[in-house]
Amino acid sequence: MNNYLDLSINELHELLVSGEIKPKDLVLEAFERIENNKDLNAFITLDKEGAIKRAKELENMDKSSILYGIPIAIKDNITTKGLRTTCASHMLENFIPVYDATVIEKVNESGMIIVGKTNMDEFAMGSTSQTSYFGAPKNPWDKTRISGGSSGGSASCVAARLTPIALGSDTGGSIRQPASYCGLVGMKPTYGRISRHGLIAFASSLDQIGPMTRNVYENALVLNTLVGYDKRDITSAKRETEDFTRLIGTDIKGMKIAVPNYFMSDIVDEEIKTNVNNVISLLKKHGAKVDFIDIAHLEHAVTLYQIIAMGEASSNLARFDGIRYGYSADAKNIDDLYEQSRALGFGREVKRRIMVGSYLLSGDNANVYYTKALEIRAAMKKSFDEAFKNYDLIIGPTTTTTAYHLGEGMDDPRKTFLDDVLVIPVNMAGLPGMNIPIGFNKSHMPIGMHIIGNKFEEAKMYALGAFIEKELQLNLEVGEHHE
Amino acid sequence: MNNYKKTIGIEVHCELKTATKMFSDSLNSYDGKENSHINAIDLAYPGTLPLINFGAVHVALKAALLLNCDINKEMVFDRKNYFYPDLPKGYQITQARKPIGTNGYVMINVDGEEKKVRIHDIHIEEDTAKSIHSGEKSYLDFNRSGVPLIEIVTEPDMHTEEEAMAYLHKLRELFIYADISDCKMEEGSMRCDVNVSVSKDDTLGVRTETKNIGSISSVGRAIKAESKRQIEVLENGESIREETRRFDEKDEVTILMRVKETGNDYRYFPEPNIPTIYLDDEDVEAARKDIPKMPDELRSEYQNLGVNENNIKTLIGNRELCNFFEKVKQSDPVITSNLLTGDILSYLNKNNLTLKDIKLTVDHIIDLVSKLKTNELSSKQVKNLLPVLMEKGGNVKTWMDTMGMVQINDESALKAMIEQVLKENKESVTDYKNGHDRALKYLMGQIMKVSKGQANPATVNRLLVDTLEHFDLNK
Repeated sequence: MNNYLDLSINELHELLVSGEIKPKDLVLEAFERIENNKDLNAFITLDKEGAIKRAKELENMDKSSILYGIPIAIKDNITTKGLRTTCASHMLENFIPVYDATVIEKVNESGMIIVGKTNMDEFAMGSTSQTSYFGAPKNPWDKTRISGGSSGGSASCVAARLTPIALGSDTGGSIRQPASYCGLVGMKPTYGRISRHGLIAFASSLDQIGPMTRNVYENALVLNTLVGYDKRDITSAKRETEDFTRLIGTDIKGMKIAVPNYFMSDIVDEEIKTNVNNVISLLKKHGAKVDFIDIAHLEHAVTLYQIIAMGEASSNLARFDGIRYGYSADAKNIDDLYEQSRALGFGREVKRRIMVGSYLLSGDNANVYYTKALEIRAAMKKSFDEAFKNYDLIIGPTTTTTAYHLGEGMDDPRKTFLDDVLVIPVNMAGLPGMNIPIGFNKSHMPIGMHIIGNKFEEAKMYALGAFIEKELQLNLEVGEHHE
Repeated sequence: MNNYKKTIGIEVHCELKTATKMFSDSLNSYDGKENSHINAIDLAYPGTLPLINFGAVHVALKAALLLNCDINKEMVFDRKNYFYPDLPKGYQITQARKPIGTNGYVMINVDGEEKKVRIHDIHIEEDTAKSIHSGEKSYLDFNRSGVPLIEIVTEPDMHTEEEAMAYLHKLRELFIYADISDCKMEEGSMRCDVNVSVSKDDTLGVRTETKNIGSISSVGRAIKAESKRQIEVLENGESIREETRRFDEKDEVTILMRVKETGNDYRYFPEPNIPTIYLDDEDVEAARKDIPKMPDELRSEYQNLGVNENNIKTLIGNRELCNFFEKVKQSDPVITSNLLTGDILSYLNKNNLTLKDIKLTVDHIIDLVSKLKTNELSSKQVKNLLPVLMEKGGNVKTWMDTMGMVQINDESALKAMIEQVLKENKESVTDYKNGHDRALKYLMGQIMKVSKGQANPATVNRLLVDTLEHFDLNK
């Protein structure tokens, strides 16, 4: 068997352009790897036939796109025309979308080949991917552990090198936390960078699609193709086209970096803090200025998230009523249809969040909780804005722990929210946030660092991320995964 | 029983006249089959997001300006959440926090008295799909799903059925004139909910809401029935509950639909998929410029032009006819209003047509009027020409030639005709000489008949009077 998929995208591009390999070779290799790693449960739906057909079509097409012929996996909450999109839910188990999400159009335009749809928490609600109707995906570094969530399948897929690229979505850390648990680069771009048209909504004011890749440079390459204003998502931003790789390799000397005190407090594992501190020393050694600062309301992040995300979710998921699409129970009357379709179609965590969200928006609660949460959210955002007046970037750990064992924490629904305490503030403020791997703990599970940028400053984040990546030279190959 | 005072507030929903829907680009149209103007957004397919129809915002702005509202230039939308099969998203996008217009008013006229009805607010929202029930089954037509609506909410400023009906007539007239909505209550493009309470003193009584009343006159009858019911309840020593009711047209009573509990829990919250939209002064000015002359203004203008009251009423009641009149009135307001509200309107009504369906043009009318004034055509000839022009179009002069409509202006020829008619109608001549003016009219008619309608009536009239003076009955 060939191991082309271990090569960098630049190397693959040369081979594809020269004709030494064809897109079909990469597709077949990807499916061989997927087959050999079935136990990871990274995918919900595979599209081998469609991918091979697409690979053949590409043979006679323009090869200039850097991502031409590269296999990609898509989180299963992004609509793909004609290809089942389940949100890892019984509710959408047989749902075939009638249209492509905007990002899927862009993926296709850039010549990438979609191999399938990845596993996730049901409707992206969870931090472990264990709420999936199709069972949890596993962490390639230790298959008894979670790969994180909600983009756990995408993380497993790229960490095991089944495809070089996957798309995830991030509402409260769902790209960055699994990227951290699996030793990947995962970017949640600025809110509005990427069209959400075709992203099945969890919490609309927080959701954002982003790339998950093996390294920083390739992440920037993928982001180049995904961004742009889309008239079908009026929250998407009108921005000049830019090359997100452009600052990679520039000197970090004089860069001003802040570390929020809360991010290095005792809520974080010592091993993780040690690794982050090592990076801080490295940055200082190379002439960056690193200060510890305070950002307001970080400690309220989880509470804010529970109110805002669940409130929005309770409304966003009302459309699944058993009438037009999705699971539809046999029912005697309309109330029965609603109750049974939703009782049987949704899993426990989704129903819990819908109920909590409905409660939070009911009557006076909307003022007591929701409006108050929006106020604190605005204050937190302002505090970030203040910080970015003095600093280029903010860093810290991505997670408080490394990936834990499957089944852990499932008895306490509040626990998994606490995993996301460091990543949620970024969604609340609409900022870009990225995980990069910075080391391993004593169980050899990956440790991640969180880089937070000001709005639309992803390029700067990639510059710092690439610098750290280059200095650390970590071996991020799981090893025996595709034997 | 008579010392109760009614207090009435009205909520009106109007579908806006726009090309496309409020939050999607499918057509706002009821032409064609059920579910023919729908897309993934209208069906609330997973992953779809709302667009904004700025054309609809423009129309709503016009409405807010017409109702003298303060305009909220910072436009935000909210979600109103509830489950119903005709509501595909499970929520309606509406404006709960910041309606596009607030603090407005409209003047109504009841029995010659002007009265101000205050408008609490006017807000933009989207219509639901339409449920069609047939036997055991229910069907959904999503053509209406997402059609732009405005809701206009009054203060409780009305106290009689007449005031309520006058308000609705006024609203309808304004919206039809400004091309905001076609306001057809029978087709549901204007819908009306009425809040009624009664009280013996100045405090407000407990109110009920009567929903979805089918016509403006039914609104009056529903208010009458509901206030009567409330008074009876109170006179029996019972109290009124906050209820939603409907009006039974046949039995002239309101019927309980549901008791309002602690207020409906619609779980309102800001719609996160639509960012704040900032309207600027130009947007507001563009809407203002787009408001045509309104009926009150037209009415006094037409009175000054000498158009009679009946014609004014007919013109203002028919938007299309009135628009046409605006274009031809400068040629002669009295004649053109007579033509439009007379022969033309009755031709349209008889054949169930509108002005769009016929070939008559503004130029035709202007041409006809000028020929009437120069006596090239008689009014009888105009009457004969109109059906041809409406049906076939073409050129007035050409039709006159084809139809042999030449006006006889030659006085000697006319004199000969007059002499002949007088000889054959000596009795009428005697009548005339004895002071019966009617005889003159009769003789005129006879002469016109002899000339096959081609005689110039003004010339005939002058010559006839002259001839009669010197006519010798014994000749």
